[in-house]
Amino acid sequence: MSALRHAVRAWPTLLRIGVAEMVAYRAEIFIWFLTATMPLIMMLVWDRVAAGGPVGRFDQPGFARYFVATLVVRQLTSSWLVWEMNEQIRSGSLSPALLKPMHPLVLPAAENIAALPFRAAMLLPLVAVIWLWRPEMRWGVAAADLPLLVVAVFLAWLLNYLTQVCFAALAFWLQQSSGLFMVWFGVWVLLSGYAFPLELMPPALLAAVRWLPFRAMLGVPVEIASGLSSGLGALAAVALQLVWCAAVGLLARAMWRAGVRRYEAYGA
Amino acid sequence: MSRLRQIWRALGAGTRVAVMIALQYRASFVGEAAMALLWIFWMVVPLFVVFRYTASGIDGWTYDEALLVVGCFITLQGILEAFIDPNLRAVVEHVRQGTLDFVLLKPIDAQILVSVQRTAPTKIPHMLAGVGLLVVASARLAHPPGPAQVLLAVLLLLAGAAILHSLWTLVVSTSFWFVRVDNLSYLLGSVLDAGRWPVGFFQGAVRFVLTFILPVGLMTTWPALALRGLISPAAALGALGLAAAFALVARAVWTFALRHYSSASS
Repeated sequence: MSALRHAVRAWPTLLRIGVAEMVAYRAEIFIWFLTATMPLIMMLVWDRVAAGGPVGRFDQPGFARYFVATLVVRQLTSSWLVWEMNEQIRSGSLSPALLKPMHPLVLPAAENIAALPFRAAMLLPLVAVIWLWRPEMRWGVAAADLPLLVVAVFLAWLLNYLTQVCFAALAFWLQQSSGLFMVWFGVWVLLSGYAFPLELMPPALLAAVRWLPFRAMLGVPVEIASGLSSGLGALAAVALQLVWCAAVGLLARAMWRAGVRRYEAYGA
Repeated sequence: MSRLRQIWRALGAGTRVAVMIALQYRASFVGEAAMALLWIFWMVVPLFVVFRYTASGIDGWTYDEALLVVGCFITLQGILEAFIDPNLRAVVEHVRQGTLDFVLLKPIDAQILVSVQRTAPTKIPHMLAGVGLLVVASARLAHPPGPAQVLLAVLLLLAGAAILHSLWTLVVSTSFWFVRVDNLSYLLGSVLDAGRWPVGFFQGAVRFVLTFILPVGLMTTWPALALRGLISPAAALGALGLAAAFALVARAVWTFALRHYSSASS
C-alpha cells in the first residue's frame, strides 16, 4: 500500500513534470494535434448530407455539435503510451523506471493528464470558427448531466490508457506492438463514434456495437456532451464504461506483470 | 544521353532489389495482401453509412461513383507507402546520422538516387487492392468506362503520384534544417485523408485548399471523374501541368536545401 501512498504524494510534482515536458515539446504536440483532422472531414461530409434535410436526429448544426464534441473529447482522452513504451522497452530505458519506488505507469499517466487541458485549449480557435460557420449550434448538455459528463470523460481517458497499457505490454514479447495497435485503432475509428454517430449505423450492427469497449472510449462522453443521451440512459452508458474499465484494468495488470517478469528475464 | 541511361540503370537496380526483398518475405507478403483486403472493406464502411441516408446521391455522386474515388485513394495510398514514403523517410534518417554524404558522393543525381533506393514491396498488395476496387466499381457503373477514359484516368493517377512525390520531397527538404520531420509526414497524411471523398463535398476555403494547395481533389476525384467520362482533355492537360509545376518547385526547394546541408563532418 505504501507504493500507492508514494504515488499520491508525488502526484503534484509529476503533474508539474508533465507540464514542463509539454512546454518543451510544444511544436511536436501541436503537429500531433493537427493530425486529428478526421472528425472535421466527416463533419463537412455529413453537413452536405444533411443539407437536403435532417438525418435521423441530426440536422446541420446537430452534426456540427456532435463533431465539435468528438474533437474535444478526443483531445481530452487521448494517450500515447504505446509509442513511448515501445521505445522504452526496445531500448531498455524502462529499467531506471522500474527501479523507482513508484509504479512505472504512474509518471506517463501524470504526463498524459497534464498535457490534456492544453491540447483541448488548442481547439478553441477551431471551435470558434465552426461556431461562426454554424451559429445555430448550441450547447447541448443539461446542467443536471454535467457531473456525469465529467465522469464519462475521465472514464473514457482511463479506458484508453488501460487499453494502451495492454498493447504496450505486448511489446515485451513482440519488440514492436505499435503496428498492432494501429489495427486496433482502425477498428476504433469506425466503432467508437469517431467517424460517424453510432446511431446512424444499420440497427442490427448497432445492437452489437453499443456494448463493445470502443463506444465506452469515445462515444459515451460525446453523446452526453452533444445532448444525444441524458438522464438514465447516460447513467447506464457510464456504468458500461465502468465495467469495461474494470475488465480491461484487470487484463492490463496481468499483462504488465507477466511482461515485466519476462523483461527482467533477459536481463536488461 | 549517358546520364539518362545511368538513371535508368539505377531505377532497374532499385526495382531488382525490391523484388528480391519481396521474394524473401513471402509469408509477410501474403499477410499484407490479406490485410489490404480487410483495409478496403474498412475504408468503404464510412461511405456506406453516409450513402444510407441519401437516395439521390450527394453533389452528383452516387454510391458506386464515390467508390471510384475511394479506389483512387487506396491506389495512391499504396503507391505512397510502397514507393515514396520509405525512400523519403530514409533521407531523414540519412540527415540525422550524417550518412547523406555517401549519397551525395555518388556520381548520379542525389534526388533520383534517394527516390529509388528503398521500396516497401509488402505495401504493393495495398496498391493492387485499390486497383481492384477501381475495376469492380467501374463495372458497376451505368456506363462503364472505355479505353480512352481508362487511359486518361491512369494518366491522372500518375500525375497524382508525381504530386505526392513532390509534396513528400518538400517535407523532407525541411529536414535539413529541422532534422525531425517524421511527424510532418503524418500530418500531411491526415490531410490527404480528405481524398477519400469527392472534393465537391467540401465547400469554400476547404475546397480551395484541397484543389490547389494540397491538391487532393485532383489526385483522387479527377481520375474518378475521368472514369465517368466527365473530364475534358484540356482539364487533364491542366492537371498534368500542375503536377509538372509541383515537381519543379520540389526540385528547386530540394536543390536549395542541399546547398544548406552542412554534412556530418563540418
